[in-house]
Amino acid sequence: MIWAAFTSEWTKLRRPTLLFSTFLGLAFAASLFVILMFSQARANGGLVTLHQLAQPNGLVIGVARASMLLGVVAFGIAASQVASEYSLGTLRQLLVRQPRRAVLLAGKMLGTITFLVLALCFAAVVALIVAVAAAQSRHVPTGAWFTGTGLGDLFRELGDLALAVLGYSILGMALGQFVRSAVFAVIVGFAWLVAVENIITRIVPSTEQWLPGASITAVASGGVEGVGYAHGMILGVVYIVAAIAAAMIVFIRNDVTA
Amino acid sequence: MTMQQAMYRADERSRGHLAISTAGLTKRFGDRTVVDDLALAIPSGAVCGFVGPNGAGKTTTLRMLLGLVRPTSGSGTILGGSITEPATYLNKVGALIEAPAFYPQLSGRENLKALARLGQLPLSAVDPVLERSGLLARAGDKYRSYSLGMKQRLGIAAAMLADPKLLILDEPTNGLDPGGIVEMRGLIRSFAGDGITVLVSSHLISEIEQICDYVVMIRAGRLVHQGSVSELRAAQQPDFIVAPEHDADLPQLAGLFQEAGCTVTQRPAETTVLIEAPGFGAADLNRLAAKGGVTLRQLTESTRSLERAFFALTGTASADVPSGQEMGAIK
Repeated sequence: MIWAAFTSEWTKLRRPTLLFSTFLGLAFAASLFVILMFSQARANGGLVTLHQLAQPNGLVIGVARASMLLGVVAFGIAASQVASEYSLGTLRQLLVRQPRRAVLLAGKMLGTITFLVLALCFAAVVALIVAVAAAQSRHVPTGAWFTGTGLGDLFRELGDLALAVLGYSILGMALGQFVRSAVFAVIVGFAWLVAVENIITRIVPSTEQWLPGASITAVASGGVEGVGYAHGMILGVVYIVAAIAAAMIVFIRNDVTA
Repeated sequence: MTMQQAMYRADERSRGHLAISTAGLTKRFGDRTVVDDLALAIPSGAVCGFVGPNGAGKTTTLRMLLGLVRPTSGSGTILGGSITEPATYLNKVGALIEAPAFYPQLSGRENLKALARLGQLPLSAVDPVLERSGLLARAGDKYRSYSLGMKQRLGIAAAMLADPKLLILDEPTNGLDPGGIVEMRGLIRSFAGDGITVLVSSHLISEIEQICDYVVMIRAGRLVHQGSVSELRAAQQPDFIVAPEHDADLPQLAGLFQEAGCTVTQRPAETTVLIEAPGFGAADLNRLAAKGGVTLRQLTESTRSLERAFFALTGTASADVPSGQEMGAIK
């Protein structure tokens, strides 16, 4: 039954407008970071050096830096997908055909997550092609990228990014479930991830390791200063499980009056 | 409807099979009671009108039947399944609740495919329901490009997707032009011909009167009446349309009936009066007129419309009906 809800969700997700805008949008965002990073790289100093880019993990540096942006986009799309079922009124149609609400929500979540993870994979492939081209233009040797170590770093980073996108997507869907308005969900989500967490951590730096956005970003980047990878992973899982549980309870218990 | 189907429906009713039955069905939102102790008994095979003024609790009741809204108290059975477990019966139910709602960027066909996949229904069921609802030619167009009538028809097609035994339609003619209303009426009648139980809500009593053989009337969340339309009409005291031989006698005739305790309504632009005369027969009225020295040119018994029956049952004045609007609209 979850499979039925999953395939139904994909009928909606694969519409050309959403498919192209999401896949190309994420690819553009990731590629933009790669281009900026390569164009700004110096022999010494700066955000990243040409020497660092030539290392085995040089291929993934750009994509990793784009993780926050990719996460925010995933969050917004996931939130709007859930909330729009309320604003369009389509939820009542769906619930007549699948009255088991937990099954419906699970299928929808699975559909949205796979959609966004596939979009991420597409963005990563495009960004990698762009990275190779950018490396050529800056005369950065790429031999180390395609060694065993380099490819290992690449797949590990992609796995971490996929986990982060999964986390952002679930948080987005949970928020969409609560606020029931696509626009409001996207605004609240963006404001929290981009502004509120930043303000909180600047005022009280020790809170950084407990905030959901910071935890998931730490996972995406393989750990950051102040939030270790393992800590981010554990806390991220706690947030995700809590978000799924809360969304399920709200979805199952609430009357559908939209 | 074929003879066989007619016999089936008659047999179903005689055995007392109920497609929908509820007891004490109540819904409160905070302190506000929207549906109050509702006991429905809708026979299988009936085309049942669900009538009540705006805000009477019709949509909330339908949402409870569909598992979208949880009853505060009460119980119910739909097609043999408990109302608390909608999954046991919704695979045999089709519904159109309020305005049709679909994904604007998907075509009509893709929208139905999404629902078919969700309900684990064969995708081959999509085109036949599109054809039946008259949308097959435009099935590939985006939903957002549809006219209101087409959207409504797609809603009906979606409701038919599961080959339902029960159709629940909430105000299906809302927003349709006269042509669309006639088409929708025909469509609903055709479902009845297939032996499907249809529960159709409307605030247009005249609409219900034309397509339904059973009626449930509610007001302020409470049941006012339920039963067959013909029984309801039969139970109503008939009115009389009366005309004097000479038009100039009309005021005198009206005065005679008023003195006798009848309610007299002058019919606009006509030389007749409508008499509501509880306890009076045609002979009594004729005798009364003759005694007053007025000879009658016309004395016709008039069966009360469902609209008037509703007003009589609820105690609402017919003057509540907004003039210049649909004749059967309850305000």
